[in-house]
Amino acid sequence: MGDGPPSLWEWTARNWDTGRAGSIRDLLGDHLLMSLVPIVAGLALALPLGLACIRWRWLYQPTAALFNVLYALPSLPLFMMLISVTGLSPVTVIIPLTFYAAAVLIPAVVDGIRAVPEHVRQSAVAMGFTPLRRLIRVELPIAAPVVIAGLRVVAVSSISLVSVGALIGQGGLGMLFTRAYQNPFLPPVIVGIALIVLLALVADGLLVLAQRLLTPWERARRTT
Amino acid sequence: MDRRSLWVQQIMVRSWQGVAAPPESERSRVITFDAVTKRYPDGTVAVDRLSLEARTGETTVLVGPSGCGKTTSLRMINRMIDPTEGRILLDDAPVESVDPAVLRRGIGYVIQQAGLFPHRKVLDNIATVPYLLGWDRKRARGRAMDLLERVGLDSALAERYPFQLSGGQQQRVGVARALAADPPVLLMDEPFSAVDPVVRTSLQDELVRLQAELNKTIVFVTHDIDEAIKLGDRVAVLRVGGELAQFADPKTLLTEPADDFVREFLGRDRGIRRLQFVSTRGLKLRTDLTVQEGTDGHGDEPWLLATTADGRPAGWVARGRPGELEPAGTFRHGRDSMRAALDAALLSPSGHAVAVDEQGKVVGVATRQALDEALTETADG
Amino acid sequence: MNWLIDFFADPARWSGPYGIPMRLLEHLEFSALALFLAALIAVPLGLLIGHTGRGHLVVVVSANLARAIPTLGVLVLFVLLLGTASIWPVIIPLVLLAVPPILVNTFEGIRGVDPELRDAAYGMGLRGGQVLGQVLVPVALPLILLGLRLSAIQVVATTTVAAYTGLGGLGRFVIDGFATQDYSSVFGGSVLIVLFALVVQFGFTLVQRVTVSPGVSRRLKVREQSPARRGNN
Repeated sequence: MGDGPPSLWEWTARNWDTGRAGSIRDLLGDHLLMSLVPIVAGLALALPLGLACIRWRWLYQPTAALFNVLYALPSLPLFMMLISVTGLSPVTVIIPLTFYAAAVLIPAVVDGIRAVPEHVRQSAVAMGFTPLRRLIRVELPIAAPVVIAGLRVVAVSSISLVSVGALIGQGGLGMLFTRAYQNPFLPPVIVGIALIVLLALVADGLLVLAQRLLTPWERARRTT
Repeated sequence: MDRRSLWVQQIMVRSWQGVAAPPESERSRVITFDAVTKRYPDGTVAVDRLSLEARTGETTVLVGPSGCGKTTSLRMINRMIDPTEGRILLDDAPVESVDPAVLRRGIGYVIQQAGLFPHRKVLDNIATVPYLLGWDRKRARGRAMDLLERVGLDSALAERYPFQLSGGQQQRVGVARALAADPPVLLMDEPFSAVDPVVRTSLQDELVRLQAELNKTIVFVTHDIDEAIKLGDRVAVLRVGGELAQFADPKTLLTEPADDFVREFLGRDRGIRRLQFVSTRGLKLRTDLTVQEGTDGHGDEPWLLATTADGRPAGWVARGRPGELEPAGTFRHGRDSMRAALDAALLSPSGHAVAVDEQGKVVGVATRQALDEALTETADG
Repeated sequence: MNWLIDFFADPARWSGPYGIPMRLLEHLEFSALALFLAALIAVPLGLLIGHTGRGHLVVVVSANLARAIPTLGVLVLFVLLLGTASIWPVIIPLVLLAVPPILVNTFEGIRGVDPELRDAAYGMGLRGGQVLGQVLVPVALPLILLGLRLSAIQVVATTTVAAYTGLGGLGRFVIDGFATQDYSSVFGGSVLIVLFALVVQFGFTLVQRVTVSPGVSRRLKVREQSPARRGNN
């Protein structure tokens, strides 16, 4: 090891697993948690709400309007306002991100199911599928591509947004940015951006894979 | 440059000046296909050495199954597509020598889904080409209003948006739009295929009426042979692969199909459909079978035609059943075709057709025998 | 709640270079500048790529990549590299991050116009530029405006975060307040930012209402249709 400032790789290697809190590995773990929970929770929120909006059409306009308003709000003030409720914890970041996710996923669910061709739905009814079965066996699988497209947007956005939480001390890999700013040093910034982008690409790739697996008929159409 | 027809030159000059088309006398509008071929890079031949002439003031129909190149051929006239070989001429000027945009401003173009601009009101849609040519707003809108009524639409629709109109109405607006700058040539690509049959019939009739007034050179594309026969002065039947199978007037097409393909494409009932083109002018009528309503006595004839006081047909009366009126099928003597007369006869229990004039008053009765004679003559002739 | 009252009631807050009006103005200026520059780049580019169909790979790549890049990271990167002497090290990343939503939506908007409409426009003798300006843009306007609106959301949020790297604006109340445990500043600032974002969104809705043709948004009453439809066919 030289005497001068460490190179990018040296710094990364040195800080990967320091045993103390705040190692890159730790931050990566925090980051994963704070991005995954909103994605799953967002979907868990969007599915029933989306289905409700399909069942009762009048519900969609107000629901979409409400979530659009939430989506338009910057994350930082939301984090700040939640501190008084959830303190300085990952949950403070997770809650707004969950609502952002839902804002994207509710329209995805609604559009996805609306995209099911009417004649397909009618055939299912005629064949005696109960509404629940129809949903699980027919409508959701066909709606899957649209929903997954929404999930991809949500995944990438969430992974990126978590870093803003660094401003309240809960940023996962975003902490590297605040650290680098306070003690001016380039490598943490670059590593932080690189890891976050990498994480996003991996998540995107996994979702594309999931889509391929869930919709084998699309694959067949491609090969013919 | 010098080979351009007077008309094309005038269009170019006048589009600068803001006037649409040269006066009637200067306009010539023959469209000539000269061994036109369209071959795509992957080898498919859409149009194969097509040669034909669309004459001035006539409706020339291009008809055939999918893949016969009819739409491709049409789109080569206004240079939406350019041919691989051969030329298309407007009078004696090749279309390729004219700037496409200028060319198209002098040609009306009607497509299947109308293609109206959704963001503009109906009136502004119709006035599109006049605006393009620089007409002043008032004049353009006035002309558009004129055309709106000409195509049979209520002037109240002028300030509506396309999405507020039905399919049939949108199509009529599409036709009005194509006619706005008074182009001598009109291209129509399956314009009536997307509307339901009832609407289609009224649109077809409307076109026939308009053409009688305006006398444009129309090139019309359709996949429906009946539409082709109904609307076309001359019909070009195209084969898959873009080859011309036959180019003739509808009557010749029906009586002398060039080959098996054309015969099959024409479909069944060629004989009966051919009767559309046979006039009833020479049909012998009997006037002694008509009686006033309410008259007593019947006579020897099995059927007599009862008429109202002002001479209109009331119905057929059978010899043994006085007072019972059976429906009478009618046709307009001299105006309607033999097909209509035959149809009228079949609709009457008597088997005779009632000939009426323009006002609907009885002129005479064409008996079964008279019809039979006329049919025999037609078959021989 | 008391924090809010403390914040807004304090007269000192309403004047001076660190007062509410000043910060509000700064936030507006930076956001507007960034959005304007981003639109200047992205709208013509989106129109061009959408109209000609060439180079759409640029759009796809930019769309996917941009969403993944963390704003705070990029801000810190630029400031570390270029210093804080001027606002440009902050404005540049702001603009770069604002470009993709506009680019993608403008492109999609033009692309999404019914091909038959395009065909009819050319067929009537409109030239490329005229087709774009007279037909494609008015019809694609809802999506173009959507792109601008999404970008505005992005810009307002990033301007807020940029307060961390030294930019002025409403974010300063939050960031500075957080650092000094001045909760009234934190809350007050947060409320202001939320209100600002809402007003911006509302502004866009108005713009949409005014500029998009009713024929495209189909806002007119359906009732008007019936008599016309039932009339002649």
